[in-house]
Amino acid sequence: MPDEVQNDLIPSSYGALSGYRVLDFGWVLAGAIPGMALADMGAEVIKVETRQRLDYMRMGRPIVGDQPDPEQNPMFHNVNRGKLSVTLNISEPEAVELAKRLVARCDVVIENFSPGVMDRLGLGYETLRAIKPDIVMASISSTGQDGPLRDLRAYAPSIGALSGLDSTMGYEGGGPLGLKHAFGDICGALHAVFAIASALYRRNQTGEGCYIDVSMLRATVVTQGIGLMEHALTGRSLRPRGNYDPTMVPYGNYPCAGEDKWISIAVASQEEWQGLVAAMRNPAWADDQRFRSQYRRQRHRREIDALVSGWTAQHDPDVLTDLLQGQGVAAAPVLSAEERLFHPHFMERGLYNDIDHPALGAEPVFNLMWNLSKTPSTVRSHAPLMGQHNRQVLCGTLGLAENELAELEERQVVY
Amino acid sequence: MTYSLLSGLRVLEIGSMLSAPYCGKLLADAGASVVKLESPETGDPARRYGPWPDDNPHPERSGLFLYLNANKQGVTANLETPTGRGIMRRLAASSDVVVHNVRPADMDRCGLDYDLLAADNLDLVMASISPWGLSGPWRDYKAYDINLAAAGGICEGLGEAEREPLTFGTPEVGYFAGMAAASSIVMALLARETHGGQHIDIAEAETMAGLYNGPEALMAVYQWRVTRRTGHHALDFPYPNCILRCKDGHIFVGSPEGRQWGRLLQIMGSPEWSQEQRFRNRTAMNNLYADEVDGYVESWLADYTKAELLEIALEHRIPLAPVRTYDEVRADPSLADLFVVIERDDTGPVSYPGTPYGLSGDNSVPPSPAPTLGQHNPPILCDELGYSPEELVKLYQTGII
Repeated sequence: MPDEVQNDLIPSSYGALSGYRVLDFGWVLAGAIPGMALADMGAEVIKVETRQRLDYMRMGRPIVGDQPDPEQNPMFHNVNRGKLSVTLNISEPEAVELAKRLVARCDVVIENFSPGVMDRLGLGYETLRAIKPDIVMASISSTGQDGPLRDLRAYAPSIGALSGLDSTMGYEGGGPLGLKHAFGDICGALHAVFAIASALYRRNQTGEGCYIDVSMLRATVVTQGIGLMEHALTGRSLRPRGNYDPTMVPYGNYPCAGEDKWISIAVASQEEWQGLVAAMRNPAWADDQRFRSQYRRQRHRREIDALVSGWTAQHDPDVLTDLLQGQGVAAAPVLSAEERLFHPHFMERGLYNDIDHPALGAEPVFNLMWNLSKTPSTVRSHAPLMGQHNRQVLCGTLGLAENELAELEERQVVY
Repeated sequence: MTYSLLSGLRVLEIGSMLSAPYCGKLLADAGASVVKLESPETGDPARRYGPWPDDNPHPERSGLFLYLNANKQGVTANLETPTGRGIMRRLAASSDVVVHNVRPADMDRCGLDYDLLAADNLDLVMASISPWGLSGPWRDYKAYDINLAAAGGICEGLGEAEREPLTFGTPEVGYFAGMAAASSIVMALLARETHGGQHIDIAEAETMAGLYNGPEALMAVYQWRVTRRTGHHALDFPYPNCILRCKDGHIFVGSPEGRQWGRLLQIMGSPEWSQEQRFRNRTAMNNLYADEVDGYVESWLADYTKAELLEIALEHRIPLAPVRTYDEVRADPSLADLFVVIERDDTGPVSYPGTPYGLSGDNSVPPSPAPTLGQHNPPILCDELGYSPEELVKLYQTGII
């Protein structure tokens, strides 16, 4: 039985946002992360979802058995942990009414439906504000609530392309390879979290809520400071340059002993160069006049890359990292996902923790690592099962009678 | 643009390059009053990073510095001297927030000891941003952007299988650490009445290995998706999910939903190759035949410009997206109001990226330009901290400010 699952591992009173309540229509990735962060910080986050249209993140290949199962997506478990789940089929007007009643008891509403959907459902900001005048509402979209790109079908790589981010991502002289990460989702979600928290700060001072419009495209564009300033000040548009920094040589990922092992090394100053030379045990070539100063080394980047690679290729990346850091040189291995999970530094700090999930048992989730000394971010419970908290929220918070809930479930309003 | 969300809030930023300065910028753009403290000799290293107007380098005109430090006031203090640390301590005592990215190994020497600063200001919220965090075996290890990207999971899957792993085209990690710090700071402020001040530890590497790439690590545990360097293709997605060449550049072509792919094929004239049995399963098509299919699709794309393809994307609801260069991002009329022009005597008007989120009912005001080195020493040290003009001169002559 879902409601028998122990789902309050850590009392929320320890959180910075203890006492705040969030109604979370967010789904997939960008929409789910803000609620996750607020829950990790102690807010009560009620995820509104429905079997009528499953959160995409609940879909995918099952891990146990071979039947589709909405409780088995590890990505979903990561970005929805700590939330409560209420299943409201908001294509039904009665479900929309229940959502509105919940809004009256919330501080924050989050959503990332396509622009215009909340208005069509009767859950737009003006409506919600009439219900709860100081509500803070955040909408997250790919390309904004207005404008000519608003209805563009856009996924994470679309944002990388449109923002300029991808235009410099590749080998020197080659085309843009593109960044296949959800950079824009995470960037948009984090800006949303900041804006939501700041809006709550002002609300506490003035009593005023507000509507926040975060576009992943805009959030990504503002992280392109160097490229955009280059264009503004020199008229040039940067192109792919491989692993390159205008102030550092060497700067790159260098091959190591072993299969597909690499180490990143970056040298910014004369002292760091001397540290690198000492770590290499003072090879004769390092004395060459071509490499005597940072300025000269900039002009002989390729030769230095080849010579440093010749040295790194003989060694293990972890051994080299300690050796180089011991000489004051910035170095770190290129870590794979498994290596990050079991990395001694990350393990000691608790970056990943195992958490029990009813469908999959113990599985690791990442910690937010917003380490506030008195109220640190904490993974408070596993991601909710579909509708796990229907009774707690709809009967407990809203005060529906048990038989009312049963009847709403029967008619698939709560579904 | 500047909002009023955090008006009245006083922030002291001791930041260099990206992370703490971006945190300070988020707070300043949200309305906080941010004082940036720099070393009197060289200031923030971003002053020496560039780019510069017309390639004419000058520490007061570095584009990265001007962008990240607009809307702040600037003071100088040499934290290697007791008097300099005293100035910093007095500024911290009258601030709500201190944010810095001084390396953990240098924090005590620079007077950035939370307990010491909180002794004068019990409600102080201080955020320390560092490459690896304030604890753990790598606490004192150095890192630049590529090292954080390498350890944080950015590089492992970027690039060609036979070549070196790649990182971001320009430094990016600091932005994520800045966002994490700024969010944490405001949350600590929300909890201040109950809990008082707090010290916040944000590790740049963990913003990447955690929130950015944490789910990937979990997927690897289940062997659901294994990240490998496969050039412009990513394994285990339905084809297409890649950047391809078109008439005047490159375009991202995606179609996660079958009907999107169907529409795209229709527009391409339902080509014969698309009917082949081996292309029935689009994930197999991606993993086994991507290079071959790229050729077919590119022969169609070659007749269209990025702008024409964007029109097709909008009309037919297909996820095509031009890979825009920075001049093209700047030229997008729908982003025009994202940029803000700031004028300073020595740079003239320059257009900067502004605040990425919109806010109802808040009349945003244009930001002020980034401070020159020590520009606000007189108003802040004399008017606020009470140094006399004679003392100010002495502090300058002795290299403290």
